Amino acid sequence: MTQSNRLNTGGRINRDKPIRFTFNDKHYTGYEGDTVASALLANGVDVVGRSFKYSRPRGIVTADAQEPNAILQTGSNDASTVPNPKATQAALHPNMICRSTNGWPNVDTDMMGLVGKVGGAAMPPGFYYKTFMYPQSMWMSYEKLIRKGAGLGASPTQNDPDIYDKFNHHCDIMIVGAGPAGLSAAVTAARAGCRVIIADEQEEMGGSLLCSTQQINGEAPAKWVSDVLAELSANENVTLLPRSTVFGYFDHNYLSIAERRTDHLGETGNGAVRERLHKVRAKQVILATGAHERPLVYGNNDVPGCMLASAVSTYINRYAVVPGNSLALMTTNDNGYRAAIDWHKAGKRVALIADTRQTANGDLVKEALSLGINVKFGQAIINVKGSKRVKGVEVASISADGSSVTGSVYQVSCDTVASSGGWSPVLHLSSHTGAKPVWREDILGFVPGKTVQAQHVCGGVNGVYPLADVLGDGAAVALNAVCSMKKSIEGVEIPKADVAEVSESAAMALFHVPHTKPTSRAPKQFVDYQNDVTAAGIELANREGFESIEHVKRYTAMGFGTDQGKLGNINGIAITAKSLGKSIPDTGTTIFRPMYTPVTFGTFAGSDVKGLFDPARFTAMHQWHVENGAEFEDVGQWKRPWYFPKPGETMEQALQRECKATRNSVGLLDASTLGKIDIQGKDAREFLNRIYTNPWSQLAVGKCRYGVMCKEDGMVFDDGVTSCIDENRFIMTTTTGGAAGVLNWLELYHQTEWPELEVYFSSVTDHWSTMTISGPNSRKVLEKLTDSDVSNEAFPYMSWIEAEVAGVKARIFRISFTGELSFEINVQANYGMHVWKSVVAAGEEFDITPYGTETMHILRAEKGFIIVGQDTDGSVTPQDLNMDWVVGKKKTQSYLGKRSWTREDNVRDDRKQFVGLKPKDPKAVLPEGAQLVFDKDQPIPMTMVGHVTSSYYSACLGYSFALALVKGGLDRMGQSVFVPLADGTTLEAEICSSVFYDPKGERQNV
Amino acid sequence: MSNVITPESPLFHADFAKLAEVTKSLDAGVELEEKAFLGHLNLRGNASDEAFTSGVEKALGVALPTAPCTSAQSDAVTILWLSPDEWLIIVDGGKEHETEAALRANLTGHFAVSDVSGGQTIVRLAGSDSINVLKKSMGYDTHIDNFPVGKVIGTAFSKTSCHMLRTAETEFLMVVRRSFADYMWLWLQQASKEYGLKVIA
Repeated sequence: MTQSNRLNTGGRINRDKPIRFTFNDKHYTGYEGDTVASALLANGVDVVGRSFKYSRPRGIVTADAQEPNAILQTGSNDASTVPNPKATQAALHPNMICRSTNGWPNVDTDMMGLVGKVGGAAMPPGFYYKTFMYPQSMWMSYEKLIRKGAGLGASPTQNDPDIYDKFNHHCDIMIVGAGPAGLSAAVTAARAGCRVIIADEQEEMGGSLLCSTQQINGEAPAKWVSDVLAELSANENVTLLPRSTVFGYFDHNYLSIAERRTDHLGETGNGAVRERLHKVRAKQVILATGAHERPLVYGNNDVPGCMLASAVSTYINRYAVVPGNSLALMTTNDNGYRAAIDWHKAGKRVALIADTRQTANGDLVKEALSLGINVKFGQAIINVKGSKRVKGVEVASISADGSSVTGSVYQVSCDTVASSGGWSPVLHLSSHTGAKPVWREDILGFVPGKTVQAQHVCGGVNGVYPLADVLGDGAAVALNAVCSMKKSIEGVEIPKADVAEVSESAAMALFHVPHTKPTSRAPKQFVDYQNDVTAAGIELANREGFESIEHVKRYTAMGFGTDQGKLGNINGIAITAKSLGKSIPDTGTTIFRPMYTPVTFGTFAGSDVKGLFDPARFTAMHQWHVENGAEFEDVGQWKRPWYFPKPGETMEQALQRECKATRNSVGLLDASTLGKIDIQGKDAREFLNRIYTNPWSQLAVGKCRYGVMCKEDGMVFDDGVTSCIDENRFIMTTTTGGAAGVLNWLELYHQTEWPELEVYFSSVTDHWSTMTISGPNSRKVLEKLTDSDVSNEAFPYMSWIEAEVAGVKARIFRISFTGELSFEINVQANYGMHVWKSVVAAGEEFDITPYGTETMHILRAEKGFIIVGQDTDGSVTPQDLNMDWVVGKKKTQSYLGKRSWTREDNVRDDRKQFVGLKPKDPKAVLPEGAQLVFDKDQPIPMTMVGHVTSSYYSACLGYSFALALVKGGLDRMGQSVFVPLADGTTLEAEICSSVFYDPKGERQNV
Repeated sequence: MSNVITPESPLFHADFAKLAEVTKSLDAGVELEEKAFLGHLNLRGNASDEAFTSGVEKALGVALPTAPCTSAQSDAVTILWLSPDEWLIIVDGGKEHETEAALRANLTGHFAVSDVSGGQTIVRLAGSDSINVLKKSMGYDTHIDNFPVGKVIGTAFSKTSCHMLRTAETEFLMVVRRSFADYMWLWLQQASKEYGLKVIA
């Protein structure tokens, strides 16, 4: 137990629960309630990382989300590892393993440290900018070096073992931040009967009250916090979200929150949800995000031991850690004195308070003086001595406006330097919604500007700092929010919180502490620690002409780190303003965007991973397909059998067997995924006339017809068979992938163009299981299953009947996509499996062969039947497809697509037209998508004249064949086209009819 | 040819009977049941056409709920409002044909009835944590003030969609398409894991 900096009493840590952890391979012990940062400070660890450019040793600066240096890589293995959590925010958990991200090869002896000066010279401000500009080729090699040296952390290389999910919430009032303002607002809103959600990023709710020494109602502030939290938890309309960072605030009061549910318990693998993304839709939003303290910019202000004044107080009061023995404090305001007072009360030495103001007499100043602390007015710490830990400071008197050193420099020895340059409201979330920050000279900070959201701000983010005022502001703003929802606030009791007033002297506007030398020659004065941006670097950027703050940011990389400029940006803006002779509001801020702090990918992915990434849709016969060895193909979200290999069979062998079996005996296809739309109403027929290219007026009840749909541009977009069920009712089938789109298309035209037509559409795709038996023996199989007359005379091609099949009521359609005698049996899907198995059993004597989408594709291609989306691409007319026969010439009313076919471009005779291709080498299968040329000897770039749309080897034909779109192809029958391949060879094929098999169409009519 | 006809509901493969046996003594926050093999009829018509609404009432014995997102129920029939001109009529399994016939007999003019019994199923979600499961699954506000008992909503449900009827403070019926039922089942297992899941056969 060597927690040398730990106090014996006080703090919110649990001394009964020691926690062992490892940092950079060394073992340490902290306590439950510690962050990694507080535990490291308790153990006297000074150096936690190395800086990006100069490789300078760096220590912990803050106690919150602003931390620029203590960036960790946590986790014990390549699966659980997490890059870039901040040690100041990471709760310590048992056996935690963490390391510095930036300290290659290690933080104490660093190779780059030895050559640090070289690194600095090689990367002046503007390095990124200039390198991106030129030379491009060098960037890749720079990048590797920078990434390694910069410590951006390493991504996991294994799958994440943890579970993540998402929650949706709605509430009246969403409160961001559970400090004094947020809690006060929450209690008030809850008492007014509102549905309230309050989220806070820290391990415990309470915010600044967790480290405050100011009493509320005469008791420790923690008592007030626990009373308030007890009241809130007991209210069922209140949702408390601790360990939850509101990282994004979007339009319509939509907020996203990352909740860390298990990181404080242990690493991984406990089966619980690790992180939860909360998506909140709030009627009113109250931002109670507080304020971040600004450090001052002074010489060598990055030496480990230099910290924010408020961070020093937090470590002492909340974690019972005094991070050193001897403190020098520099402050521009009264509040900064708290660090020295807390330090003194913890029994350690305060070497100096350098108050940059000429004078001050607020209550805290008086207290410090009464404690006998050495306070110097009108002085500043202009430089720090030491490398891996502060050894002392150089102090001098400065001018009243803080622009220059006026006195001689003297030395003070100490091991810790705290600085306070005032406070910056945490306005990031309001900026997410587009509100421009507004500078307030009275508080020397930007506050949220005008917003279009139903948003309220209270407490620190509103520029209200004294505790009594903050508590009152929270309650008042909550009442305001309640009223904006037109809810009553009558009788709502505001939470009691009596706090003694603390008088304060005015703060001084000082950001950049002067040195005896000009900035460019002074010791490095860091503004953005993470990117090694110095005051001199910013001035250089200004001199080189980068005056807009957004340009300064890109040029210097200020604010690019994982802290996103929280610590340094306002100082950077102030330095730019000073160097350009502008005011701070005229200089403006850069834009804060989501995420407020980094969010893991797991949080965004949630549970939508692996099998839940995309829904898989199954037919009623899926289990049979699985049991019978099907390989599956994704068609949209459907899992369709692709082919059914027998043991030891290759895909080609399986396809040849399936094709031959279907052509020679009988095959069986699960066609359930085809879209089916039930169309009813007295104008159904008229509607079909307008939506399809062919005529429907004469289609009799019991008959089926193939139809093609075009969009207004005359291009084919879906096809299928539609059957007349009765005079006012049709069943339309669509392609599998087109089902939803076609239904939308029908509704669109009905609702917007032809609302006078009396017709309704309902999707019945899932209601029907559809199985197609195809092949010369298909009738024999069907006859075994039904008593209905299915002879060619009673049940001719392109008609349908209602019949009982295997004891189940069915609709049988005599339509064919293979060119063979085919029956498509449709039954209510709950009976699909029963009928399918019955068909398989009945077909056994004919060796009935199940086939999948691939054999279906080959068989239809042999017949020259198109597949919309494969043989067409939205630029193909029915005429291009040589399907003029499907275009109605005598239809009385116009229909979709018709007008466009007479456009000049659509009547060109060199349009790409649908033809067959017969490779000269009968075994050569042309690659689908291959480009075609007429002249194989033309030098590159060759004139491309079309492409292969479908291509297969046909076992039934005995040769390979293809379908293609070829310019003017219909007039080029018998001519050759060439297929130049990537390997330099060229295939030759003859243009022929797209119908290869049974050109007269006799087989389907038997 | 098999003489025994065994229908299979969309969640048949999940074998709820066996899961119910395994989980019966579980102290679970979530309860799940497939209300399989019910009759589902999709009805379209003009709600402001008095002949249509009275014809439906005559055929079903229940007045058609014409206010948005409402439902109506009798011992034999549940009607869910789906859209301004669309309703789902749920009857006992096997009754869909006679119900459709009754509707056709009592309706004139422009209407449509489609039997969709095979195309969808109903999943009953209940239990003290059922609302948490819904919060994980959809953006709709589940608060009882916003989503009272008897209300019907059509909603995106994770990456599928469903119609949902609240039947008690912590009981919901979800109508889901057959082909998406497996996805919903997988999703609900994942979403209810932390609360414990009890399957009812």
